[in-house]
Amino acid sequence: MQFLQHFCEMLYQSSFGTMLRESNNAFSVIESVHVLSITLLVGTIAILDLRMLGLILRSVSVSRLARSVLPLSWSGFAVSVASGFLLFWAEAAKMYVNPSFRTKLVLLALAGFNALVFHTTIYRRAREWETLPVCPWRARVTAIASLALWSGVIIAGRAIAYF
Amino acid sequence: MSLHGWFMALAHSPLGHAMQTSRWGFAMVEMVHLLGLALLGGSVLIVDLRLLGVILKGEPAIAIGRDMSRLLLGSLTVMVLSGIALLSEEAGKCYYSPAFRCKMALLAAAVVFYFTLHRRALLRAQSEKPTLWPRIAAVISLLLWLGVGVAGRAIGLL
Amino acid sequence: MKARLALALALALALALAVSGTAVPAHAHHSFAAEFDINKPVRLMGKVTRIEWTNPHTYFYIDVVDANGTVTNWAIEGPSPGALSRRAWQKDDLKVGDNVVVEGYRAKNGSNTANGRRVTLPDGRRLYGGSPGDGGPGDDGTDQGNLPATGTIK
Repeated sequence: MQFLQHFCEMLYQSSFGTMLRESNNAFSVIESVHVLSITLLVGTIAILDLRMLGLILRSVSVSRLARSVLPLSWSGFAVSVASGFLLFWAEAAKMYVNPSFRTKLVLLALAGFNALVFHTTIYRRAREWETLPVCPWRARVTAIASLALWSGVIIAGRAIAYF
Repeated sequence: MSLHGWFMALAHSPLGHAMQTSRWGFAMVEMVHLLGLALLGGSVLIVDLRLLGVILKGEPAIAIGRDMSRLLLGSLTVMVLSGIALLSEEAGKCYYSPAFRCKMALLAAAVVFYFTLHRRALLRAQSEKPTLWPRIAAVISLLLWLGVGVAGRAIGLL
Repeated sequence: MKARLALALALALALALAVSGTAVPAHAHHSFAAEFDINKPVRLMGKVTRIEWTNPHTYFYIDVVDANGTVTNWAIEGPSPGALSRRAWQKDDLKVGDNVVVEGYRAKNGSNTANGRRVTLPDGRRLYGGSPGDGGPGDDGTDQGNLPATGTIK
């Protein structure tokens, strides 16, 4: 981890990182974009999860909703990652030691892994189950895990400020 | 009672005292506020993008609107209730904050718009080719809700 | 079935929040009342040792020497650089090595942290570190504040 710590120090002390960190408006704007992007990223994923739990939009098949929603989620992800990386750059040395930031990254990775497993397995056979009144238990477990993990990412993200 | 009086009454209420003295009360309520934001924002996006004719074109817009209304209004309720708790912790600051006043004005506009012109636009939108007014209504709705979010961020930054 | 599922989700979320709440340390947001103690006014004279002109909060640190010669380092908290600059407090107004007077209120957690209600710079200029409506002393709803000229802070 020496290399990682060194890398974070380097980012923190760079002129770009320092400029962001001491900025009058840039940091605030980037942070605001990051916070508001959770609507595009987590909000849309949550709606897909709630569909798989049979709680909303039952007139729309799962794959149809996914085709509509996932491009939005990916756009939200791009905005979150871009803004998040800039925020990280400004505070890198502090983030390296921040337990909440580390937790957030772990939860983010788990959320991604959850989605990957779902898309490469049960979702491949979506046609078989997407019009059933109740989705298979694997899809429902994925949905619950997704809701929990993304909520965790938001909570851990907010908690960064308190450590 | 004056407007300032109402704000002070909230600050001195049992809720206000609890929020101001609690070690982690504000943090937790703010997290609930953020989770509500994700759901409210997602709901608004789905409904208004349908109204714009960008997604779920095969479904009648009014059906999507009705189906999403429970989640939209439920998450809005969560945001309003958590918002009142957050307000009770810093009522004086919010009273004087131009960002807070702007946010409340935009919120009122967004909610009124949702229950009136927006609903009518959903009824009028055709499945295959959305006409001009539904598209305008969708854009107005998205801008109003976005404005609420931006103004909310500004409260803590000004 | 659906109602039970929705209820289960809500309960799980409440549990997660409760657990995360216990992990949140004392340095929490942020109204004057929540973080600083109105019954613990401080008037500190010291030499600036470090300045963190950073988002989301600015801090500067001063070495305060008491009657016995003991040196204590205090942290003085302020809002973001943007917020300060909108109150005509620029980054270069404070320099390491300056002797300043900080009038403020001590943090509730008892640490050597204070909210810089008023900072008097070496050239005599006074900067108000509160915000309109924050409820602390000198708050009159403006961003100039209304602390008494001589002050009753000991």
